Amino acid sequence: MSLRLHPLTFIVGAVRELAALLAAGATGLLVGGMSTAFYFTLAGLAFGLVFHVANWVTFTYVLHNDRIELRRALVGRSVKSIPRDRIRGVDISASLPHRLLGLAIVHIDAGADGGEGELNAVSRHEAERLRRVLLTRDLPAPPQRVLGRMRRRWYVYAPLSGAYLLTPFALAGSLLGTVYNLGDDLGLITRERVANVGHDVVGLPTALVLALIIVMLVAMPVMSVIVFTLFNWDFTVRERDGSIVAERGLVTRRSVSLERRRLRGVELTDNPFERMAGVTRLGALITGLGDAAHRGRLLPAAPRPAAESLASRVVGAIPGPLKPHPEAARSRRVIRAVAPPAGVAVLAVLAGQPWVAYVCGALAVLAVPLGLDRYRQLGHATDGERLSVRSGALRRRQVVVEHSAIVGWRIRRTLFQRRLGLATLFAAVGAGEGGYSATDMSEPDAIALAAAITPAWLTPFLEPPKQERT
Amino acid sequence: MRRSHHRDGGGPHPPRLRPPAHRVSPRAIAHWAIEYLLVWGLAFGLALGVAAWLGDSGWDALPGWLTGRVGLLPYIVGIAGLLMVTVAPVWRYRVHRWEVSADVVYTRTGWFSREWLLVPVGRIQTVDSKQGWIERLLGLATIEVNTASHTGSSEVSGLPVDVATRLAEDLAHRAHDLRDDAT
Repeated sequence: MSLRLHPLTFIVGAVRELAALLAAGATGLLVGGMSTAFYFTLAGLAFGLVFHVANWVTFTYVLHNDRIELRRALVGRSVKSIPRDRIRGVDISASLPHRLLGLAIVHIDAGADGGEGELNAVSRHEAERLRRVLLTRDLPAPPQRVLGRMRRRWYVYAPLSGAYLLTPFALAGSLLGTVYNLGDDLGLITRERVANVGHDVVGLPTALVLALIIVMLVAMPVMSVIVFTLFNWDFTVRERDGSIVAERGLVTRRSVSLERRRLRGVELTDNPFERMAGVTRLGALITGLGDAAHRGRLLPAAPRPAAESLASRVVGAIPGPLKPHPEAARSRRVIRAVAPPAGVAVLAVLAGQPWVAYVCGALAVLAVPLGLDRYRQLGHATDGERLSVRSGALRRRQVVVEHSAIVGWRIRRTLFQRRLGLATLFAAVGAGEGGYSATDMSEPDAIALAAAITPAWLTPFLEPPKQERT
Repeated sequence: MRRSHHRDGGGPHPPRLRPPAHRVSPRAIAHWAIEYLLVWGLAFGLALGVAAWLGDSGWDALPGWLTGRVGLLPYIVGIAGLLMVTVAPVWRYRVHRWEVSADVVYTRTGWFSREWLLVPVGRIQTVDSKQGWIERLLGLATIEVNTASHTGSSEVSGLPVDVATRLAEDLAHRAHDLRDDAT
């Protein structure tokens, strides 16, 4: 049965163009009266409407047992066929006009080998049905269960993560740009005026400038919270049909389905500010998920216990406590943090550039506590089913991956690591960044950890116990 | 040391990996040496050019401390290149080893920084065998074992062609037979 998109779709498309054309038409009227510009606008509007209707008439989609086909026959004919077993996620989103008309955009993601398809737009009801049908694979719709939900209070954590802190500047910039362009189009901007404005700005009383700066400083966190809330309003994580569905957004409501069988683990990230407040971010590691940083998000900001309990409902309990790495790793972390600025400082002294040397020297001193903190954050643990590794200071990350998700081991030892008896163990995982490392473990610990998780892979290559090395 | 309380240790003695069984072909030394020679030769030529150009131009835009010392650049590049060409290939040859057991590909690569890599045959997605022009001259080939993860993908260079071809075919067959959900 071949289906069409919702008839109201072309209204949404046309409305968007109408707004743009009206603006252009109004400008035309202002500048030249009932001139050619006005008729051009009208013609453009009519053409746009015809285009949208034609698009709607010629676009159909067919749901087969094994695939979904998207047919387009406007200019050339094209049939896009997406095999249903390749579909990795079905996202539903709706902008404000879509929501007013009860429509939703369905985005079908089929990974690298299947491509992706978009249905823009169908009714909300049809969108839900498509998602259910495309993701279930012959299962009756099981009940859904809420795994986690953002609380109101958590939205004030937004400035801690640095998220959207620069929003006021971006807004001010785009506002100024718009004013300038509009003024330029209308011929209001001349060299003298720009120069006058420049003189006025320079001549402003200091108190006013200070006040402006303070307003900006206050606006930064406030706007950050507002924009963060807009994007993440009522962030809810549900379990449905073997998928984990994360829904969020106030104006544009967006929902991302992550298939359980493609889930390999989770990651908890935070920065020093968030650590002080006990806040963390939770993300999912999914095989073959594009734009994973945004789409794999399970909680954008939450107190650590809440994030951990959601993580345990998604992959299972987080193994712990983490075992610290040997003492030798500390000096290595500190040296690696200090060496780059110190090296530049030495070069600057040789080149006779005292100021560069001072700055780099100060950076090198600051790098010492950073290196120490990097060492403190190193850790690893396994509970027989999941491996957890943690590293990083300015952006600390703890990753939890299932043992069954590990597709290989890589052990790296530089000359310096060999002298210190250290080794970095990478667990290769076909999701997220592809590999997660336990940095600077003691060498026997690294091998023992890998051997404990996948004994069959390592045992044939272990040295026979000939003598006890101390 | 903290070895006494290994909860998850393999046994009473600290576990150690033995090196993989097979060395690569000794001709690989020549291959790496030629490669380094080409790259560092080019770098040396560029350094000479830059030094000559900057030395003659008497350009005011550059700070004096730089123009005075730019003559050192070709020497630095030359010495580094000489070291790389003479030391690195032999060092790499001593490190590079490989072995394929029943279900695992085990390799050791690198020189200054060494990497041990264990990839189970069941998780292999593709096996490529390739030859650059230097390798063609020397009768060598490189095998690339790819998994779903870049970290878990290995490359063994410097194998004799016949060994590489046989190994690639054998691995591809077995990977196909053993393949589980290889992600």
